[in-house]
Amino acid sequence: MSTTAAKPIAPAKTGDLSFMGFARLDGRVGVRNHLAVISTVALSNRIAELAAQRHESGKGEPVLQIKGEFQRGLQLADAQLQDQVIAQLVDHPNIGAALVLCHDRRAAQAWKKLFHDKPVEVLAVMDGAGVENAIQLACQALERLSQKIRGQLRVPCPFSALTFALECGGSDASSAVCSNPAVGRFVDEAIAHGARVIVSETAEFIGAEEVVRAQSASPEIAQAIINCIAITETRMAGDGDHYRGVNPTAENIEAGLTTLVEKTMGAVCKIGDSHFEGCLTFGQPPTGPGLYFMDTPFFSPCSMTGMVAAGAQITLFSMGVFNPSGNPLAPTLKLCGNPHTVKHWSDGIDVNLSGLIAGEISLEEAGHQVTQTVIDAANGLLTKTEQWGEGQFIMPRLLPAF
Amino acid sequence: MSRISLTVHPDDNVSTLLDFQTDVKITRDGLVLVESIPFGHKVARQEIAKGHSVIKYGVAIGKATTTIRAGEHVHVHNCS
Repeated sequence: MSTTAAKPIAPAKTGDLSFMGFARLDGRVGVRNHLAVISTVALSNRIAELAAQRHESGKGEPVLQIKGEFQRGLQLADAQLQDQVIAQLVDHPNIGAALVLCHDRRAAQAWKKLFHDKPVEVLAVMDGAGVENAIQLACQALERLSQKIRGQLRVPCPFSALTFALECGGSDASSAVCSNPAVGRFVDEAIAHGARVIVSETAEFIGAEEVVRAQSASPEIAQAIINCIAITETRMAGDGDHYRGVNPTAENIEAGLTTLVEKTMGAVCKIGDSHFEGCLTFGQPPTGPGLYFMDTPFFSPCSMTGMVAAGAQITLFSMGVFNPSGNPLAPTLKLCGNPHTVKHWSDGIDVNLSGLIAGEISLEEAGHQVTQTVIDAANGLLTKTEQWGEGQFIMPRLLPAF
Repeated sequence: MSRISLTVHPDDNVSTLLDFQTDVKITRDGLVLVESIPFGHKVARQEIAKGHSVIKYGVAIGKATTTIRAGEHVHVHNCS
């Protein structure tokens, strides 16, 4: 049978979705209780990596390594944003305890003043006397932190404690009709239960201004989002390449996409029937429940870094063809409706939605399938990206380097 | 034998075909196709007059550049 999706979502009874998570002192809830090492500058990445490996090989728990290509010598907005994002990652509710690794002692002194709501130790590599000694100091700190979170138990948590990041990659015709609409169904249900949802990648909203106007809580919010889209479109046009003219591409057209609005709408239907409650800058946390737009660059690991810094505990990643992107800190669920991809990449896919293509399930059932997988992941079931250790932290660049 | 199609939104005047049986000329919900339409491509569910909107996801994704009959392939040749 052909599947015609009815628009209204069945009214959800609030309070009937819950999961077992980790309650944090700041009132937020984690779906993981990571012992993490955060390297605040790329110079200390290798020491962080070696200390984590040594902790694990000494029968310690896995250590989540947060290593970006974080830089020293950034100016103004770039420096401010990088410091803000690193602090937000340390504070992230999926982290139970954190070792913050710096290069110099002055930076370490500054970081030490910031964290009060969880066990955090700050160490400067320059506190060591030799590479081996620096690794040992980091390992000792990891062991102390490990003891502080050992035995912590999950407690019942309301679904409303969750913030979700939405992402898509490897989009094809199946993304537009399977995984993205299924995510949309999930988003409507999640918001009915009081959750927060963030969608980003401004360039993927070019052509969706009409949707933004129709699906914003106020004209001011719609205008703020449309301004971001216009700025991005102007900048893209200003580099000599008119993206709107070459989009959809030849392969998009071959796959059946006719216009840019159609392509954009395939991505935008991730938001379901929900309305935007705000327009956020990179890494800015939502102020309340509901759907939020975040102004981010198009590369998905960068967009996800912004949404996870803003507090998202779980990422939903919709795929057509396989894409190995993810975020290590917010378990990333891969959803796919392309039967060919599902057949060959099942070890990288969490939610098989190809039943939609076969007409075996309805969009509503697909949405419930997503919800159930999300709750399983929130309860601790490892996602495929976690099993493979996939994912990156990437900062946007706001200013030219010098 | 019939083809699998998906209508994403109740307001849509096109459906997307989601199988490879391009020689079959009827969808499972009884829409008769007047030509072969590939996987991932769209079919008009009803006549769409020249200049009228092609609606998918409940949104106008483009305008018909010629009158499109029910069951016809909707793509760059008749929509922009």
